[in-house]
Amino acid sequence: MTTKTAMSGDSPLATMLTRRGFVKMGGTLFVSFAVPTEYLAQTAEGEDSLRSNQLDPTLLASWMEIRSDNTIVMRTGRTETGTGMSGYYTQAIAEELNVRPETISLIMGDTDKTPDGGYSAGFLSGMANVRKVAAYTHQALLKHAATQLEIPAENLTVIDGVVSGSGKSISYGQLVEGQHLELKIPVTGEIAKAAPGNWVGVVGLDGLKVTGEPPMRPLNQCKVLGTSFPVPSIPDKVTGKTQWSCDVTLPGMLHARMIRPATLGSTPISVGEVDKKQFPTAQIVKKGNLVAVVSPNEWEAISAARAITAATKWTDWAGLPGSENLTKTLRAYKLDAPPESRGKAADALAALAKASKKISASYEQPYVRHAPIGPFVAVADVRKDGGVTVWTHSAQSQGLRARIAYMLRTTPEQVVVRWLDHSGQYGRTTFGGDGAECDAVILSQLTAKPVRVQWTLQEDMAWSSVSPAWVADIQAGLDANGRVIALHSSFYSPHMFDPRPVGALLAGMPCSASKPGGWVATEWPYDKIQNRLEDAYGMPNLGAESASGGLRGNIMRTPGQRQQNFVLEGLLNEAAAAAKADPIAFRLEHTTDQRLIDLLKATAKAAEWETRSSPRKDARKAGTAPVNGRGVCIMIRENAYWVGIAEISVVPDTGMVQVTKFTIGCEPGKIINPRQLGLCMKSGVVMGLSEALKEEVTFDKSRVTSTNWDRYKILTMEEMPEIRIVTLSRDDKDFGGGSEGANAVCPPAVAAALFDATGIQARRIPLTPSYVTALLKS
Amino acid sequence: MTNELTLSVNGAKQIVSAAPETPLLFVLRNDLKLTGPRLGCGMAQCGSCSVLLDGEEVRTCVTPVSFAVGKQVTTIEGLPAVWAAKKGLSADEAAKTLHPVQQAWIDEQVPQCGYCQSGMMIAAAQLLEKNPNPTVAQIKDAFTNTPPSPHLCRCGTYAAIIDAVQRAAKAMKA
Repeated sequence: MTTKTAMSGDSPLATMLTRRGFVKMGGTLFVSFAVPTEYLAQTAEGEDSLRSNQLDPTLLASWMEIRSDNTIVMRTGRTETGTGMSGYYTQAIAEELNVRPETISLIMGDTDKTPDGGYSAGFLSGMANVRKVAAYTHQALLKHAATQLEIPAENLTVIDGVVSGSGKSISYGQLVEGQHLELKIPVTGEIAKAAPGNWVGVVGLDGLKVTGEPPMRPLNQCKVLGTSFPVPSIPDKVTGKTQWSCDVTLPGMLHARMIRPATLGSTPISVGEVDKKQFPTAQIVKKGNLVAVVSPNEWEAISAARAITAATKWTDWAGLPGSENLTKTLRAYKLDAPPESRGKAADALAALAKASKKISASYEQPYVRHAPIGPFVAVADVRKDGGVTVWTHSAQSQGLRARIAYMLRTTPEQVVVRWLDHSGQYGRTTFGGDGAECDAVILSQLTAKPVRVQWTLQEDMAWSSVSPAWVADIQAGLDANGRVIALHSSFYSPHMFDPRPVGALLAGMPCSASKPGGWVATEWPYDKIQNRLEDAYGMPNLGAESASGGLRGNIMRTPGQRQQNFVLEGLLNEAAAAAKADPIAFRLEHTTDQRLIDLLKATAKAAEWETRSSPRKDARKAGTAPVNGRGVCIMIRENAYWVGIAEISVVPDTGMVQVTKFTIGCEPGKIINPRQLGLCMKSGVVMGLSEALKEEVTFDKSRVTSTNWDRYKILTMEEMPEIRIVTLSRDDKDFGGGSEGANAVCPPAVAAALFDATGIQARRIPLTPSYVTALLKS
Repeated sequence: MTNELTLSVNGAKQIVSAAPETPLLFVLRNDLKLTGPRLGCGMAQCGSCSVLLDGEEVRTCVTPVSFAVGKQVTTIEGLPAVWAAKKGLSADEAAKTLHPVQQAWIDEQVPQCGYCQSGMMIAAAQLLEKNPNPTVAQIKDAFTNTPPSPHLCRCGTYAAIIDAVQRAAKAMKA
């Protein structure tokens, strides 16, 4: 039985892909099912968008295999980034199929083995895809079982993958054994493709979306979603069995170390020569400004690269302003109208003009970076027939594939990207591109051998993309009672949409460029402040004219919103202080959102919050004795509500800020996995406090200078405070993004706590001792 | 120049051919295919490459392979055998048993990306050998102030690590 669906397999193209897909799957006998038309949404997309994908996403076999032993293999283009989404996907599939989650294994991120592409960051849409596929399959299997058992489907129940009714039973595995379950999966969207000048230079990064509304288990009846199912990948990581992307070896593979230019804008004058007596197997590979040493022996590649680095001469370049001139440089950039604006400009400006009182402030933050523990690594095999296979840890396999194909002026079909675990990337590979992959592809092409490129930490901290510095101005109009009635913010920053691979840039190969712009990333939590205007101004990378592209801006955990929420929540704290109001009570006065109100109250209670205004009565900005303070901030992001409450101790004369306790609250709709949410909240606090207290990318006029862990400091275990978590789950608001966001609620709460302790507003992070002492003395 | 060196790794004798100054990390990973230790900073600043050398944690990214000759090298792959030997487990039992630190890392769901966690477990195993009942303050101190550098986790799993060390401590006393 087949039914024509929105993405019918009847067209010549789909038939071809179908056949290819079946060959890959080894399917023999086809049992066809149709998705009932009542589940289907009307879709109007064409089939051209599916041309660049290798598995036909309309075939169930591309997504799922049910094996005769009743185990299940599910395929998704998304990947695990370390926050446990492979477990959440497994839970969602188990929920809809009525199987135990332990029976499910996932294939993730390989472009030739997964159907849908898409962001790893956007796990909610990825989870929705596999959940719907599982739900469609469940319906089809029930129907099939009804026929086999000769019992109406409505009289059947499924427990642990076994369908039963009227004393008969059959397992899923038995139902499909020797058959190919051909079920048409309705999809919309497109696979990533290069689009120069368009947004980040690649479109289709969302990947495909499974459409329609198959019957799914109501959230208040879930048995697997909402439990603390363990993340499946953890045991192998703990015992050393996991194959990481840094572990890939191929026959004949060369190890490479890159020799990066002396500055971001240097070109080579002369490249040193390999001393063949000392390094008999090493050779230099060069293309444009891309220079590398390769050898079958990794240590020989490293040693030879060090010698050649010392003997290589580069031109000078000094196109950066230097860290000390950063704010001035951003302020001096000539801007036109904001490229992105949100709110009612006329109403907001008129309300501001009429306000009985106004307060305003400017905030800023230097560049920070993702700073994974494991530097970029990749293996590429460019073969004589033009086929390319790349082993990566990128969180955007299809986007990376599109960029590599663009660089090589070939078609995406020639490129296969295989994904493996690696160090967390925290957003820098979300758009594909940034990484060692293009280095490896270029070197493999030039040497005609598989090449593994391992960046060093220093190289990673100097040459990978960064989360851009920013400055912002914000103004609030207050009513006679000090409540905020209007707000206007202006955010200025180099753009965060430039993930171009540095290898391709240095080699002078084609790179699909992005469109620099501004981005308003906040989600508005204060519905009582209706007159608001948020402007975001973009500008090019610092040093953009250099061959390397300069300081390439990229997104980083809770992108845009992390920065803009610091501004918004900073001003809310300042307005509360001006009104002599308790900062939590002040927030409650500006919202009617019950979810926010409930979480604020619950978190305040857990933190034993004392209702009073800031600063505290005995606040001090001098002295050698510590003084304590507390501060709060909130955020709404991706259907999740967040509250952060910081308690600090500061020694005014030394500027040493110690966070002594942090209480974090989260309500992400229905909690998918309570234990993982708690772990992600605690770890997110560590990252957020690190940013609040320590992190800053420094640079001189030529290069980044914060290139190791002594110069780019992050929070250590000893500096971690007591962390309390508060979680609220609800079944009536779907799922929210619980794994990201914790980091963003730390800096505003810590800055507010410093104000509470000292009476001085910190409008910049990081709150390093030197900055804090200067601030308190000023 | 390349030398033939005899190593003892996870209880087994291994003969490798390497320049004596080659960091132990590359010999373990590339020659012996023990990929538990991973390259982080390459300059003893993070701890992701740590192994035990005669029971003491070393950073293999800066430890010449020649320094390991005549000493016992233990990677995370070898931790279960260390525990089995200590408890006098039979071969059958040993095959099914993890080191309590590894079991605690699973039970507490410590790893997020997991890249740094081999080094964290090595540091935990060493700490518990010296201090079977560490307080939270002592755990923080050990992971932060033991030379040559703090053990860094960018995912921020420190709280879970502390819980896991305390869980392992209980299991090892049982």
